[in-house]
Amino acid sequence: MIYYLLLPFVTIGLVVFQSMLADVLFSGWLTLELSLVAVIYAGFRLDLMKGIILSFMMGFMFDGVSGSILGLFTVIYLLIFIFSFFVSSRIASGKFYLIALFSLICSLVESLILISLYHFVFEFDMLNNVLLVFVPQALLISVLSVGFFYVMRKVEGLMYGKTMRPPQRTGTGRISAEA
Amino acid sequence: MFFKNYRTIIFVGAIFTAALILLSYSLKYDSGTSFVKKLVLEAAAPVQKMLNASIEGVSKAWTRYIHLVELEKDNRILKNRIAGLQTELILYKEGYLEAQRLQKLLSLQNDYHHSPIAARVIGREQAALSKTLWINKGSAHGLKSGMPVIVPPGLIGRLTDVSWHSSKVLLLIDENSNVDVLIQRTRVHGIVRGAGSRGCVVRYVSKIQDVKEGDVIMTSGMSNIFPKGLLIGKVSHVDPMDVGLFLKIQIAPLVDFTTLEEVLVLVADQQEIFAEKKTTK
Repeated sequence: MIYYLLLPFVTIGLVVFQSMLADVLFSGWLTLELSLVAVIYAGFRLDLMKGIILSFMMGFMFDGVSGSILGLFTVIYLLIFIFSFFVSSRIASGKFYLIALFSLICSLVESLILISLYHFVFEFDMLNNVLLVFVPQALLISVLSVGFFYVMRKVEGLMYGKTMRPPQRTGTGRISAEA
Repeated sequence: MFFKNYRTIIFVGAIFTAALILLSYSLKYDSGTSFVKKLVLEAAAPVQKMLNASIEGVSKAWTRYIHLVELEKDNRILKNRIAGLQTELILYKEGYLEAQRLQKLLSLQNDYHHSPIAARVIGREQAALSKTLWINKGSAHGLKSGMPVIVPPGLIGRLTDVSWHSSKVLLLIDENSNVDVLIQRTRVHGIVRGAGSRGCVVRYVSKIQDVKEGDVIMTSGMSNIFPKGLLIGKVSHVDPMDVGLFLKIQIAPLVDFTTLEEVLVLVADQQEIFAEKKTTK
């Protein structure tokens, strides 16, 4: 229960933190999307209920703080979470190179959705930003994801006494909604 | 029963639907800052304020650190520049002092009927028995043994040994040095002899003569070596002596012999020498 109570504060804190950090480090050039990494992590490590709420909250807060169209990142994060959730049964979260690769793909998918949406809805061409913004951002997220997964593994170890086993197809080893 | 079995799927579906409705609504009725957005921003504001303060602190510290690194670099560059400028300043100062000395020497040149030759002191011998200087001019420059050597404001000695490109100057304070002098105020003659570190003494001045401390001693011009009127020093002490016919007069030379760097050697004009020779004959 405490998870659901803390979630709004944690998500808003993370979103604000990442936008401020991105401002300091990249002066608005790139977005340091820790929230996306958190959603991918949720897809790998949390159960469906916890994960979907986290993704919803994260996307919603990100929409609110970043000033994008309300619901845009909420939908994207939900899609990425579902994608990660189903892929997690095929990829072991302990293999960091696979996590990095998967995060890279997720980030590119996110960029693709954004480009498509802006192209079809607003008729705004964002393709010229691909090499300059989206690719570096995807690479950054893939690097960040490795660090995030590593840290979270340690945190899990501290919280639960030992690291939870990688999830199997059966779904065991996940942090359940009751935990 | 149905709801219990498919609870999760229904929940996921509901969430998705909510998100899609939210997106569709926002796309269709984009009213700038909606109520929900305002709510999120309102909630984010304190977090942002708190994080901003901490990040700004770190950022400021970092900027200050960078500034300090730059300062350190600037400091090093400036210190090097100061060292360079100080060296330059010393050189200029040296040049200025040399110019002043040379100016004095030149102003002295016109006072005597001699052609002065400027020379630089290249060595000094200040032993107990010998007080001499080495200068960098010799017979190749027209110097000869016995020529007077002066420095503002007066005489310092004479040449004793002259080689081609250097010469030895016997200083007034050398005990072998004897110069015929007169006391400016009373025109009394005497012989100045070197007394080493004590300066010089004037000999053969009768007890009946009036000599006081502070009297100026100058060359008399009686010998053919020193022209008349070259300053030598001032009387520093007069001792009447109980025994003997003469006064014991100590004089303080006007020149500090330890700091000499440039000197002038007075070369007698050829015409004058010729005239003198003629007179002698």
